[in-house]
Amino acid sequence: MKTAANGLWPLRFKLNGKRVSKNVKPTQTLLDCLRLEFGLTGTKGACLEGECGSCYVLVDGRPMNSCMMLAPQVQGREVMTIEGLAHGKNLDVIQQKFIECGAVQCGYCTPGLIVAAKALLAANPHPSRAEFLVGMEGNICRCTGYNKILRACELAADQMGLTK
Amino acid sequence: MSKSTDALDKQIAALHVTARSSSAYERKQMKVVGRGAQRLDAVGKATGETKYGQDLFRKGFLFAKALRAAHPHAEILGIDVREAKKVPGVAAVLTHKDVPGTNLHGLIRRDQEVLCSKKVRYLGDALALVVAKDEEIAEAALKKIKVDYKPLPALFTMEDALKPDAPKIHAEGNVLGEKHLRTGDAPKVMATADVVVEDVIQTQSVDHAFLDLEAGRARWDGKMLTIEVSGQWLHEERRLIALALGLPLEKLRIIQPATGGAFGGREDISIQIYLGLCALKLRGKAICMRYSRAESMIVRHKRHPIRVHYKLGAKKDGTLVAAQVTFYVDKGAYASTGIAVMRKASSHATGPYKVPNVWVDVIGVFTNNNPCGAMRGFGAAQTAIAYEGLMDRLAAKLGMDMAELRMKNLVTSGDAVTTGQIVPHATAVECFEAVLQRIGWSNRSYRTPAPHLKRGYGVSIICFGLGYGDGFPDASRARCRLTKDGIVELYSSGVDVGQGLINMVSQIAAEEIGVPLEKVRPILADTQLTPESGSTSATRQTYFTGSAVQLAAAELKKQLQDIAAAHLKELVYEIQIENGEAYNAVHPGKRLTLKELAREGTRRGFSLDATSVFKPPTMPEDTQTGQSMRAFVTYLFGSHACQLLVDTETGEVRIERYIACHDVGRAINPDQVIGQIQGGVTQGIGMALMEEVVLKNGKILNPGFTDYILPTIRDVPEIECIVLENPDPGGPFGARGVGEPPLIGTGPAILSAIYDAIGKPVHELPATPERIWRTISS
Repeated sequence: MKTAANGLWPLRFKLNGKRVSKNVKPTQTLLDCLRLEFGLTGTKGACLEGECGSCYVLVDGRPMNSCMMLAPQVQGREVMTIEGLAHGKNLDVIQQKFIECGAVQCGYCTPGLIVAAKALLAANPHPSRAEFLVGMEGNICRCTGYNKILRACELAADQMGLTK
Repeated sequence: MSKSTDALDKQIAALHVTARSSSAYERKQMKVVGRGAQRLDAVGKATGETKYGQDLFRKGFLFAKALRAAHPHAEILGIDVREAKKVPGVAAVLTHKDVPGTNLHGLIRRDQEVLCSKKVRYLGDALALVVAKDEEIAEAALKKIKVDYKPLPALFTMEDALKPDAPKIHAEGNVLGEKHLRTGDAPKVMATADVVVEDVIQTQSVDHAFLDLEAGRARWDGKMLTIEVSGQWLHEERRLIALALGLPLEKLRIIQPATGGAFGGREDISIQIYLGLCALKLRGKAICMRYSRAESMIVRHKRHPIRVHYKLGAKKDGTLVAAQVTFYVDKGAYASTGIAVMRKASSHATGPYKVPNVWVDVIGVFTNNNPCGAMRGFGAAQTAIAYEGLMDRLAAKLGMDMAELRMKNLVTSGDAVTTGQIVPHATAVECFEAVLQRIGWSNRSYRTPAPHLKRGYGVSIICFGLGYGDGFPDASRARCRLTKDGIVELYSSGVDVGQGLINMVSQIAAEEIGVPLEKVRPILADTQLTPESGSTSATRQTYFTGSAVQLAAAELKKQLQDIAAAHLKELVYEIQIENGEAYNAVHPGKRLTLKELAREGTRRGFSLDATSVFKPPTMPEDTQTGQSMRAFVTYLFGSHACQLLVDTETGEVRIERYIACHDVGRAINPDQVIGQIQGGVTQGIGMALMEEVVLKNGKILNPGFTDYILPTIRDVPEIECIVLENPDPGGPFGARGVGEPPLIGTGPAILSAIYDAIGKPVHELPATPERIWRTISS
């Protein structure tokens, strides 16, 4: 672990498909680093102790609570945030289904939920209802009551199955 | 009394109906209202582009942090900030001496100091602010502030606070106030009632737990102080900030960022005055501030824990004859909205049930716990748990079916509710019948897969007074104008906290004028641009702001029809506006687009701009009897039914079916209505089964989501929604509202089902596995 003379850490990693580098405080959380250093504010902090999933990002394809990681932990790895999901105006099918199903209310949990669903469906393209519930239980939503979120995820899985 | 109320109702209904342009014929042809149009802000939220308070931070901003009290109750003998000021990177350290205004805030009473000068009353009180280059420096500087305290005996229970020799938390004593309601002669009738049931029910302290933590930014440029923090009533916040900081209103601008939930938790001032003060002292600098989850929970007000002593008397056949109720309300350290919550408890003391003799006392008691204030349900939620709980106990004592007992006593159209107000269109029975039918009440089965699993069924009925009522001059304003590009701009200060106000107002404007939804551009919640629309609370925005928008839109439509008539040389009453085009409906010919109408308006010197105010009157409740002919502008009805399993070995509950029926008058956006119902029920599940802020000696032991347990996707069943639409004569397109009732119905329905399953009532909330297990074992 080398730090530069000014106490900053020379962070290099792949962010939403692009190689990036920045000198960061080694004690900064990945969440704050993404938001304050890279201006990617789509990833949200809510509980800040790994309980609510609002800050989920994909690290090498796995959903991680970015509030519980320090920025240097992603050195040389690949990070995907909510901003990396859509291709221009073409939204990811999970984003589309969340919007269509009314699974978005205050929207604060939405990026984390979409990232969680993305990871779940990448690992298991045809989850059962029970597998969905286990896969999404790490995300707290205070507004919707989850019914529409579950429906959005199931419809997204259906559509992804059809287009494959 | 009922006669004059009827007359008043008619007058008000007539006033509203004549003010609206929509004829019954048009209502049947609605194109935008009544459809589940996609949320206008959904794409931004699903892609992460939407900016909430904390998303407004930029590199180079200064960070503010607050020093909190070290004791729950203490005198402040001195604050020494000299060492803190010396920390490199600190831009300012501020105390009460730096506050230029009254240094006070509070929604009903200004009893809370922004930065405490003489005394602290709970652990969330602030004494100083540090502004620094970053949060770590600010944190380090906070530790250098020396406060000299003289600790005072602290009061953590209402019993202790009510003792005659108890130290006074506020100069006037420890009783915030009392509310009374009296009809008939409850003590006398109770004494001769055939059957009497009596019990004490204790509700808990609940946190709003909105995900979007308090955060925002402020800047003072010497002319204007701009504060961007999410609240629930921009103009009231502006008043409170202006008074506290001694700033004229016109030098203060409040802008609402996107808001990640509120649920009453943003009604009280949070960081607005701190940010404003720091900005005033550091002219030209952008200041930002954010709470951690722990600070958010430690500082913010909570749902009032209420101890309800309830005595209910009935005839042998189940007809209710008397109710005697005392509510002891733990106010915590400051008044907040407590008096209004207490009044909502008293005015809803018998809920949807006809009780001819009622005696209610509500006592609000200050303690050194967290202040308690607004939260979805606002006193009515705790009350419903009590009156429905007593109905279950009464049914058990009478050996009567719980649904039959309720049906027998429900208010129907033309009956009076607890406040004596006659409800002209009560749909409690309709809602109740709908849920009973859906759950299959008469064929319900108690057979379970294993003997240690017990099934239970529960019901609840909601009768909820919408808005503040009580004679408060509550009003919403709106403005609609046509731009030169043919876009209808819609201005309102109503805030979308996630519930969907943005669609509600836009769909109403589009429908009323006759334009597609995409031609409406909502401009919301900026005190420089938008007119006051009251608070986003009390389930009032659809009814109030929705009505104001409809009135402004109707006026704009008339202006457009005048322009079209003049241009087309037609009679104005033959001009129809449909799908964004004006034409003669009798002799269809040339059509004018909105852009052409705008151009024609400009050419003729008309501004095509309309404003409105919607201010339906209510009447204050009598201070002695709590009676009012019009305590609330209208009432909302709903009913819930629940089927669950209790594991008698562990006390765990699994909800098998949940049905919620609400009469919303008119669903402006049915998808959003269902979202509100499902979300409200889920918060109700949290309150009933798991959520509790645990306080010990004024300290929250679980200030985070690790220990404050919230419902997850695995705790929530499919919530079957039944939406009834019996139009309200005063609401926009007949809409009433839906925000709070779904939460209010849930706790009682679940507790009712647990009682049904285990044969004993749970007295204390939440009904955790431990409490249920102990109830079974007792």
